[in-house]
Amino acid sequence: MKTKILALAAGLMTATALASVPAKADVKIGLLGGISGPIAAMAPAMIDAAQLAFQQVNEQGGIGDGEQLVGVVGDSACNPQNGTDAATKAVNIEGVIGVVGPHCSGAVLAAAGSVTIPAGITMITPSGTSPEITTLDDKGTVFRTVPSDDYQGRALARTLKDQGYEKVAVAYLNNDYGTGLANAFKAEFVDELGGEVTQFAAHEEGKASYRSNLAELAKGDADTLVIFDYGDGTGLTILRQALENGFFDKFVGGDGMKSEAVINELGVENLGTFVASSPVGEQSASLDIFNEDFKNIGGDPDAIFATTSYDAAFLLALAVEKAGGKKEDVAAAMAEVSNGEGEPIRPGEWKKAKELIAAGKAIDYKGAAGDQNFDANGDVPGTYALWEVGTNGFEVLTEMK
Amino acid sequence: MEYLGLLNYAIFMAIFIGIYALLALGLNIQWGFAGLFNAGIAGFFAVGAYTSAVLTTEYADGRIGGFEMPFFVGWIGAMLAAALVAWPIGKICLRFRSDYLAIASIGIAEIIRLVVKSEAVLTNGARGISGIPRPATEFPTLAQETAYLASQAAYLAIVVVVLVAAYVLVERQFNAPWGRMMRAIRDNEGAAKAMGKDVEFRRLQAFIFGSALMGLGGALFAHFNRSITPEAIDPMVATFLVWIMLILGGSGNNRGAILGAAVVWIIWSMSEIATDRLPTEYAIQAKYIRLFLIGLMLQLVLRFRPEGLLPEPLRGDRRAKRSGADHT
Repeated sequence: MKTKILALAAGLMTATALASVPAKADVKIGLLGGISGPIAAMAPAMIDAAQLAFQQVNEQGGIGDGEQLVGVVGDSACNPQNGTDAATKAVNIEGVIGVVGPHCSGAVLAAAGSVTIPAGITMITPSGTSPEITTLDDKGTVFRTVPSDDYQGRALARTLKDQGYEKVAVAYLNNDYGTGLANAFKAEFVDELGGEVTQFAAHEEGKASYRSNLAELAKGDADTLVIFDYGDGTGLTILRQALENGFFDKFVGGDGMKSEAVINELGVENLGTFVASSPVGEQSASLDIFNEDFKNIGGDPDAIFATTSYDAAFLLALAVEKAGGKKEDVAAAMAEVSNGEGEPIRPGEWKKAKELIAAGKAIDYKGAAGDQNFDANGDVPGTYALWEVGTNGFEVLTEMK
Repeated sequence: MEYLGLLNYAIFMAIFIGIYALLALGLNIQWGFAGLFNAGIAGFFAVGAYTSAVLTTEYADGRIGGFEMPFFVGWIGAMLAAALVAWPIGKICLRFRSDYLAIASIGIAEIIRLVVKSEAVLTNGARGISGIPRPATEFPTLAQETAYLASQAAYLAIVVVVLVAAYVLVERQFNAPWGRMMRAIRDNEGAAKAMGKDVEFRRLQAFIFGSALMGLGGALFAHFNRSITPEAIDPMVATFLVWIMLILGGSGNNRGAILGAAVVWIIWSMSEIATDRLPTEYAIQAKYIRLFLIGLMLQLVLRFRPEGLLPEPLRGDRRAKRSGADHT
């Protein structure tokens, strides 16, 4: 029995070896996403957005001497076990030149630590927001197109202080999103700016009532409640119950709370003291181009992380072109194609970018989700604004710095 | 290049099989020897992984540690911590029989997961711990590709040494009077009690030994990935997959546990390569089928070969059989 199994395994391996010899000289890029698992509903749009970038590259001349860019999809299932397994297959079996993904921070950290960093493969994640990714000892090979949670939390703290908020209570959802934002906010607001956080409490999602949590939060006489949660989920329940019972006068949310569901459910008239921070890439010409293109292939441009996925894929393609297809040079090239200096390249402008690279000119990618200028850690600063609720929905109150 | 990649992938898979084999061996002590239905493997896995992470990482603000100890201290610490956590749990829960114990242990794994997520002082909360040192990774004299291969091969060697040591010890235990006594307790508790065996204490022993091995598996996993996050404590990949490995390989048989880990992980990992040959839209859909396939495999094994690929050696221990001695 054992020998049979071993023979079967060996057979499978050989078959794989034979099958993985590429038919023509394609350039492969790994697309690792949480196809199964907790973010299964979000992943397809993100994968489609990245594939759109590859499709545009191929239509406008391809990589190098017209080689085709092929996205190899792997399932990272939002956990480290499958994330590393998918990454090692992409790197070692498919021979990818770079990786877009994985989608969840835990899978990013594990896949980078055990596969892509040792193998010297460049990785760019569209949705791993954990601050731990910033401090990764990655030899410059790990990038992301979504700002770290740390960034938004700190920017929100500075803006609130400028707006005159002094004493706040903080309620945050107990996951990496809520915790990351809340800790960064607290660190900046209390330690750097001298504000006061009277209560700081995590809550679990999906409960029917949060009145006891709110009563606890209201102790300490803060007039403002800062909620790091999702406006179409638990955050809405908390906001509603806080309004109904008059626990607080003013309310502040992170980007998760800037949801139309909040306005639809609670009404504009009740939200006069509610503000939320959220990225603004929204008015840029780049975003309009992306929205148009993504709609044309049947995608929903409002899908969460669709823009960052597209940017990640397009940036990686630019870096591969700039590196001349040499995988060890991709990471260095990535930092060069989007550092704020050079001829601006917008989504879909592959032909123009290719000509400029061939001519040895500097280019600067202006992405759908923002300008995507990498810092030394491979992170991008977000462009955030504080929004208030007006008669026509959310309106920008002030820019955040 | 092509073959180097295949070799790298094979080594990677072997490392994962080694780690899962440790978990399956631990479960074999609990289920195979003592008949304890522990459905909380993920919890002990997490305790081991986080303990070792805290012991071996550099000092970090906002959580206890790190203590920058060498990796083997972390691994021993992981086993001790998992055993320490298992002790009170076993004390309370082992009074439950079979399915009740399963339910209780699922609850315990969930408690551990929530503690890991919430107690930032211990575990850095939802962010997890990164920067865990991995032994034998730096080969500055070699080129990138060879260094990658060398670091993977070195880790595989460590995993194999640990696994072989664990296997030899567990196998010894199985063939010793202790093993026979455990099987006696499992198969006929009343008779074992009548023989004067302290059933509760022996059950607790088996539970603690098994949990310590699971903790060790968790530590090896964390060091391999250089990071550990709460996302790793997923019941699907850290509990139920291990159960399937043991059932398929043959519970009560240590070689079966290791073989089961190998077969299930190879199928789990390689099925994706096979389905990736399909056109893209089918390839993406096929990824969901993998979960279904694993469940189907378990059903088929339970229906047609409930004793597993390598059944438990029922008539005495192997040593006795080999030397031709009568085992009575």
